[in-house]
Amino acid sequence: MHELSIAQTIVDRASTVSAQNSGARVTKIGLRIGAISGVEPDALRFGLEALTKDSPFEGVTVDIELCKRKQRCASCAHEFEPEGFHSACPMCQSNESTCVAGNELDVTYFELEDSPCA
Amino acid sequence: MRVNVEEKVLSENDKLAQTLRERFRKHKVFCVNLISAPGSGKTALLERTLEALPKSAKVALLTGDLQTENDAKRLAKAGFPVKQITTGDTCHLDAKMVIKALADWDLDAVDILFVENVGNLVCPTSYDLGEHAKIVLLSVTEGEDKPLKYPSIFAAAEVCVINKVDLLPYVPFNLKQAIANARHVHPGIDVIETSCTRVQGLEAWLAWIESRRQAAMQD
Repeated sequence: MHELSIAQTIVDRASTVSAQNSGARVTKIGLRIGAISGVEPDALRFGLEALTKDSPFEGVTVDIELCKRKQRCASCAHEFEPEGFHSACPMCQSNESTCVAGNELDVTYFELEDSPCA
Repeated sequence: MRVNVEEKVLSENDKLAQTLRERFRKHKVFCVNLISAPGSGKTALLERTLEALPKSAKVALLTGDLQTENDAKRLAKAGFPVKQITTGDTCHLDAKMVIKALADWDLDAVDILFVENVGNLVCPTSYDLGEHAKIVLLSVTEGEDKPLKYPSIFAAAEVCVINKVDLLPYVPFNLKQAIANARHVHPGIDVIETSCTRVQGLEAWLAWIESRRQAAMQD
């Protein structure tokens, strides 16, 4: 359950952004989560919900963009989405490949409530 | 109003891990991060490792658990510097905890730093500690499909230590299938078979550490 400590990191980041914008309320958090990031999106949502309860962030919308794993073959440079965790290249069968996508665990954006006097 | 951020959630940890990596490079410390489920034998492997090393070896250890100093007490018997990191409720070590634990250590007196992570096959994978290599342990009492069930750590580790092989005659564990599963997830992963009660396979383990250390020192 490291999703809870990850959720805390995101909430801390949201607080900083809110403070930098005259305390404007954060209404939406944009995240990008890769298939092999080791993070379970539902558990992260639950963690964010639990941590923001009775706080200025309560009810914040969480927008998660899921990313598939992508490998690039070291022999023929073919990029492919491996089936499950098997990472052999479907073009040349080489077992040597590097991960080019799927590790993401990013905060992409925050949406803030417009200040009434803006 | 939208504020674009586009940064890694764990960017703070990654930054701290980078400072650790630079410190390790500066002081010529080779650091490995041992990860497994609870009870696979991380502490036992380290105990046998320390017993096999000459007393003059410049080795130090950090060991993580939620509570107790038990592992540090076990490891301290060999006479090398050991520090316990108790994480409270946290299921993994992070770079900040390692920095804090190393604060009063002279890293020039260390050639190899073993970090024994909290027993957990999932979360420690996400936290870079500035190590040169992650090492995953799997014991034969756990089931040969573990690499398929917990692929992230097997994809990230450079070597898989299959421990408790002395129990193979007594448990329904298919060793060949376990190795095939680990290589299915990570074709290039090294595999070392060990028993820490019968002291088996330790030469291969020590040889791996030494050759990987030499490679790290040339980077």
